[in-house]
Amino acid sequence: MWAKTITGNFAGMIHGLNASQLTDQVLQRSKRMILDTLGVGLLGSSTEVCHRVIHYSKIYSANTSSTVWGHSDVRLPPLYAAFANGVAVHSMDFDDTWHPATHPSGTVLPSLVALSGTLSEKKKFSGLDLLLAFNVGIEVQGRLLRFSSEAHNIPKRFHPPSVVGTMGSAAAVAKLLAFDQFKCKEALAIAASYAGAPMANAATQTKPLHIGNAARHGLEAACLASLGLQGNKQILDMESGLGAFFGDYTPQDLPPLQSYSWLLDQQDVAIKRFPAHLGTHWVADAASSVRKHLVGSDDTLPVSKIKKITLKVPEAQYVNRSFPNSEHEARHSLQFAACTALLDGSISVQSFNHQNIFRPELKELLCKTQVEHPSDNKPSFESLYCEVSITLQDGDVFSERCDTFYGHWRKPLTKEDLEKKFRSNASGVLSLEATEGIIETVNHLEEVEDCVVLSEFLKGTQ
Amino acid sequence: MVYLTLQKAQKFLAASQQARKTAVHVLEKSAPKETVTSSFASFIHGVRPEHLSTVVRHRSKRMILDSIGVGLVGSTTRVFNIALQYCQELYSSNPISSVYGRKGLKLSPTLAAFANGVAAHSMDFDDTWHPATHPSGAVLPALLSASQMLPAGSKPSGADFLVAFNVGIEVQGRLMHFSNEAHNIPKRFHPPSVVGTMGSAAATAKLLSLNESQCAHALAIAASLAGAPMANAATQVKPLHIGNAACLGFQAALLAARGMEASPFILDDIPGCAGFNVFYGDYQPKPLALPANNHKFLLEKQDIAFKRFPAHLGMHWVVDAALSVRNMFVNYYHSFSPSLIRAIVLRIPVSKYINRPFPESEHEARHSFQFNACTALLDGEVGISSYTDSSIHRHELMELLAKVVVEHPEDNVANFDKMYGEVALILENGDVLTGRCDTFYGHWRKPLSRESLLKKFRSNASYVFPENQVNTIITTVENMEDLPDSSQLASSL
Repeated sequence: MWAKTITGNFAGMIHGLNASQLTDQVLQRSKRMILDTLGVGLLGSSTEVCHRVIHYSKIYSANTSSTVWGHSDVRLPPLYAAFANGVAVHSMDFDDTWHPATHPSGTVLPSLVALSGTLSEKKKFSGLDLLLAFNVGIEVQGRLLRFSSEAHNIPKRFHPPSVVGTMGSAAAVAKLLAFDQFKCKEALAIAASYAGAPMANAATQTKPLHIGNAARHGLEAACLASLGLQGNKQILDMESGLGAFFGDYTPQDLPPLQSYSWLLDQQDVAIKRFPAHLGTHWVADAASSVRKHLVGSDDTLPVSKIKKITLKVPEAQYVNRSFPNSEHEARHSLQFAACTALLDGSISVQSFNHQNIFRPELKELLCKTQVEHPSDNKPSFESLYCEVSITLQDGDVFSERCDTFYGHWRKPLTKEDLEKKFRSNASGVLSLEATEGIIETVNHLEEVEDCVVLSEFLKGTQ
Repeated sequence: MVYLTLQKAQKFLAASQQARKTAVHVLEKSAPKETVTSSFASFIHGVRPEHLSTVVRHRSKRMILDSIGVGLVGSTTRVFNIALQYCQELYSSNPISSVYGRKGLKLSPTLAAFANGVAAHSMDFDDTWHPATHPSGAVLPALLSASQMLPAGSKPSGADFLVAFNVGIEVQGRLMHFSNEAHNIPKRFHPPSVVGTMGSAAATAKLLSLNESQCAHALAIAASLAGAPMANAATQVKPLHIGNAACLGFQAALLAARGMEASPFILDDIPGCAGFNVFYGDYQPKPLALPANNHKFLLEKQDIAFKRFPAHLGMHWVVDAALSVRNMFVNYYHSFSPSLIRAIVLRIPVSKYINRPFPESEHEARHSFQFNACTALLDGEVGISSYTDSSIHRHELMELLAKVVVEHPEDNVANFDKMYGEVALILENGDVLTGRCDTFYGHWRKPLSRESLLKKFRSNASYVFPENQVNTIITTVENMEDLPDSSQLASSL
């Protein structure tokens, strides 16, 4: 039965959905997301931001402990394992992106894995429990984003994972721990008081913490709810509730449980091919294409022959950076992406290391790059495009346009390429056996009896 | 254990800073000295005990005393017990910081700050400032915990503690002055969750002697941990806003100490990409004057209000107005007889979250003009016991509540500096008695006397401590600047 409030509605959904309602497509897509997220998290576990965060989190050690992905020597309380792993997932901006815009998986998966992997838990969680809870967490995020038309565009005020991701994590945990409807509601209410981080910290080292914090705060909210803490039972209904984070806020009822339609069914995620802001993926594909007019794939780009590079991109302040000064800024620079793809033919994990960021040839190209914002180029991941034009010294002009990059939801990665990305990410940190073990486990997640095996594989061998 | 971690972090930081200097890019250079954000960092870093005036020292010690008292009585509440249970279940080692009223129990520092912050706001008994926020509860618990974290030999003195405390308060005030919206009773974000988190980060950065660049990063990291919506006010979660502000601001400082970096423009207004201004509709930041150039603390010009009973500040006006009209009534009719009253008119400012005709929980009761007015009329006083379940659901009180009518005169602005409260009793016989309060006793315009403040502290602290211990705490705080080791204060709690 649907409650009179939207908040009660959500609680009812979280509480009432069951595994039999997961469609094949939803199952498939969510398993791909899980695999990808684990991979980027493993890769990210070796970054500086992650090292700092683990170092910090070691302050808290306890009896109940969870795995820190890729660190066999460290056990942390679930809350801090979720935090550290969440940070790892977003540390290189390599994780999935959805529409309306957010990074949905990184705020949910670390919390769930942390809980399901604690050996001292009396209860064990099956793969199907995890899958269902995961999808509840994703679904709640998508539904909340649809309450605001502002959310359809690239964000300007609050970083979406910090708002809806916290709520998603709380919902997912509430589901995994089988909360009653009342506690589901309270978990959401408490989580709202932890949500929200401003965009200004995007393109800095702190941005990954937005995801880590969303994961751990959602988990904390759920824990507090289970201990009986109560908040505002109309938190999703009120403008002074979750509405506080949006300029326009129109909450709506969820579809009836009996024939529930998942958003993930209608709208897939985009999976990144290299670790940078999603906008850079259009730019990279357009730049690689236009490069082909100038040189063969193995040849060096004749930088001096180029007079001007023009990028026709949507307006998005935080990814418009002519001369990025750090790896975090480089991942949030459309100009950097264009010039790197022009120079090297493609962008990879290595493109963001120190030497590559500060190469003189790249700087030369960056100096020749300018940006235009055509009025038909909307700052929305559903509709944006990128055009790269190169004007040569001799006056010739070459242009290529990308409307849909490979990896976007309109042109999803193949199973092979998704697994290839995972293997590439995981191989630096895990043994071959563990890497293949995770792929196998996730591919058959609904048949796994006890998710603790996932955490065992994730430990790593260092 | 924690100290070693901190030491290693500092060694790592020193080494990495060396390496970074050889790179083309040096972070500090990209944040020019003129930014608002860097001016804050300079202030936090550069201010010293000698910059505190007598008035500021005096007022802040009163605040510290009051805040401890409300925290101690708050340690007997249900919400506090939940928070504590949570902390104990999930974290069992590295216990070095004290928890209010729990002798022998120690938690890790940021968790102790969380628990104590929750205690401070658990009964809405803590101080209120103008522009509106509850400044001390977000800062003091973090400093108390941090003082216990530092190794013997580097313990901050009482003077250091006082400076750090005032840095935390000052930063909060300055940030609120950047927005006109902040001058009124809040509607969107609960101010302690916004500026309180920043204040805690600033205060702990100060106590831990972070360098200027780290101070800036602490603020920026804290901004990503700030902000909770008003909807959770008047619920059990509200106290967590202060607990989290204390804890998360402290975490931001610890992360900055370990080298975490964030936006150097977090307090500045950069169009198209929101920083701290994300929490406000209007935002005009200004740089702070450096201490050496005669920085004036806001606490100098604008004192704090201390509450006489544990409820939202707005309630204090209607209670004083109700008590005054009750006096008139008793003068005429010799005793308070509710049956002689036909209607009770409350003239109050517009503010949805404190306008509740029939509160159902203690948290709602503390945020209800109607409830507080009627309790004052019925009992002739309002105190801690007015909010128990049995008090809230009394038959006589419900009868009185049913007679209440609310009016919002246009001249009654939802602003703690300008509002008033009026209670009019319309009697069955046609007479009308009106009581009005413009400034309640405890407001910054009519501050509590030392006796009254101590009375409140003693009453609160005696819930958990014997008299001699209560007196010791009073003496310690009143002589704070002479204390060689401020962690003694934390240990005595």
